[in-house]
Amino acid sequence: MEVQGLQMTESKTAPGLFKRNPPIAGEAEAIERAKAGDAEAFSKLYALHKRRVYTLCLRMLGNVSEAEDMTQEAFLHLFRKIGSFRGESAFSTWLHRLTVNLVLMHLRKKGLQLVSLEETINPSEEDSPKRDFGSRDTQLAGSVDRVALERAVASLPPGYRMVFVLHDVEGFEHNEIAVMLECSTGNSKSQLHKARLKLRELLRQPEPTQEADLKEAAL
Amino acid sequence: MTSQNSSNRSKSSAPLSCADFQQQLPDLFAASSESLPDDPALLEHLKTCENCSALVRDLQYIADQARQLLEPTHEPSDNVWEKIQKSLATEPTYVANPNKQ
Repeated sequence: MEVQGLQMTESKTAPGLFKRNPPIAGEAEAIERAKAGDAEAFSKLYALHKRRVYTLCLRMLGNVSEAEDMTQEAFLHLFRKIGSFRGESAFSTWLHRLTVNLVLMHLRKKGLQLVSLEETINPSEEDSPKRDFGSRDTQLAGSVDRVALERAVASLPPGYRMVFVLHDVEGFEHNEIAVMLECSTGNSKSQLHKARLKLRELLRQPEPTQEADLKEAAL
Repeated sequence: MTSQNSSNRSKSSAPLSCADFQQQLPDLFAASSESLPDDPALLEHLKTCENCSALVRDLQYIADQARQLLEPTHEPSDNVWEKIQKSLATEPTYVANPNKQ
């Protein structure tokens, strides 16, 4: 499959990926039936993967309406391309790559240049993470729950969020991200580092609601 | 810091500044996500600088915590599936009920 210059290949399963994408009961049979155009089997594949595909779209796009449109697009694309799935990688990995490529294509169509992340979607000074040469503060370890992290990731500038989601959440390697985003691996590493620095900064700030509660309580 | 600078620094065994150390962090994290760097100057700085070691711990913690986000928590509305079905109905290879073939 080729999505705007991006070759949709089945990469070999990376170490650890099996843990992230364990086999799902009934999936293999549903895939084979869906290849023959079986609507019921396709419905099963949708039920199995809709949440992961949608969550991925939502994290990459940060917008419910667009995320739903891209989820729809991804599954329609899946239906047309499932015949080319040969099982060399986990089906979910293949579907994720297909989804990522579609989302990136969508973003390019919208005019978001992903060719050079550094230059085109570099955040403003205000958004840039600060270097940490100052005094030590409270450590994050053990203090960050899923909701807080999810919220912080959503508030990252788009370029940072994209690389963070692809690398740290989805498990893509820097060289894979470089191909997908048409940037250098160095650029990908640098964006990821800045994303983590920015997240650290965000996560060390007091929760807005807690802060508001405290202010309210003080009155 | 360029690799040239890094190499010169290693030879002279000059202590690293926080700025130098932090400039190398993107590559360090990418190269050794599960092991400590083998450059003695980097290790020394990590051991002696409380600020940078806290930074490394935090960044590693964020990377580790990110994995929990892989588990999907959001669900698309029912409209999505309805729209997919409508579009699929127009596909020539779509077999709504394979048993009737």
